[in-house]
Amino acid sequence: MSADQERLIAELVEKGLAGEMDEINAIEDRVLRGKVKAALAKAKRAAKAAAPKEEKLVEESPTDAPPSENPHQKFGKMIEDKFPGSLAAGLNDTHIQLKPNNWFEIAKWLKSEPTLHFDSLQCHTGMDVGENMLEARYNLHSMTHDHYIEIRIAVSRDNAKIPSTEQIWRIGDWFERETYDMLGIHFEGHRDHRRMLLPEDWEGYPLRKDYEVQETYHGIVVPKVKEGWE
Amino acid sequence: MGMLENKFQDNVVVAKLDKLIGWARSTSPWYFQFGLACCAIEMMATAASRHDLERLGMMPRSSPRQADVMIVAGTVTMKMALRVKKLYEQMANPKYVIAMGSCATSGGPYWQHGYHVLKGVDIVVPVDVYVPGCPPRPEALIEGLLKLQEKILDERPLTRKMA
Repeated sequence: MSADQERLIAELVEKGLAGEMDEINAIEDRVLRGKVKAALAKAKRAAKAAAPKEEKLVEESPTDAPPSENPHQKFGKMIEDKFPGSLAAGLNDTHIQLKPNNWFEIAKWLKSEPTLHFDSLQCHTGMDVGENMLEARYNLHSMTHDHYIEIRIAVSRDNAKIPSTEQIWRIGDWFERETYDMLGIHFEGHRDHRRMLLPEDWEGYPLRKDYEVQETYHGIVVPKVKEGWE
Repeated sequence: MGMLENKFQDNVVVAKLDKLIGWARSTSPWYFQFGLACCAIEMMATAASRHDLERLGMMPRSSPRQADVMIVAGTVTMKMALRVKKLYEQMANPKYVIAMGSCATSGGPYWQHGYHVLKGVDIVVPVDVYVPGCPPRPEALIEGLLKLQEKILDERPLTRKMA
């Protein structure tokens, strides 16, 4: 290959990189045109390989990115905006404390709102938090956005009623039955509201702090906890 | 056998009917598949090829009507206690019960604080053999079954019991 030809190829490649392909396509010598095109492809590949590296370097350089917002703060505020007065306590970083009255609507919205899309109830459990209060806790996760929140709903023992979310998250069916079985929180609207583990005619709710074991069950004596043995 | 001795051909065995029935019963105690907790795993291991309960003439049955022995393998909860009793009542006589593992014998780890656990299956059904262990090894269960066989062999079903 002569020096002239080489110079010509280099010029044409530069033009090609700039987007002017007409001159290259107009070359009548097929061999030369092929050589130019090959050189152009090579140059483009080299440019492509070099370009993202530079971008990455820019990305990796220490920039003052704003700290990611805590989901409980962010979504708690969204819930408060959408359903005013539904928060039972101030926002914090660990959970969202809600009132029970419009929980069903909030839950429906949490699942259907495209920016939240909490499609999975990962865990639902209950707790006796003392001071005459029982609490139900929901751990929600969104498969699409991959974010989690924890919702807590506290109710008093005298009026332990929470709307059931069993029809929103079907997994909640057995979860809520278990919470009812162990703590006696009634889930209103549950379509199969029975005890989960204990027999139907069992008295009391074992995970309440003031639970007293019944004396007999169908004539079988239920032994009380023996004191003084450690 | 005095009088009858050497009166028959070689392949005839003469025995007391009482003893014969005891022998027949003791060598084919079909047990009732009844897994309630981790003991059931050991019971399965006992029945499987390594320990092979069938060489003792034992065979798992899934219906109480066909079973002779009920192996209560595992924790009996209050809810289950009523069902255990009902299943025992559905078994045909003669029937035997083996309480396998510490839960079935005494409540096991739940003997103090398990409000929902029956403290020993002998509260609801009569138990013939207790097998200790948590859970018992297959060898222990086999020993329990051999003890049960001894017990059945010693029975005299046709002899009138003295008042």
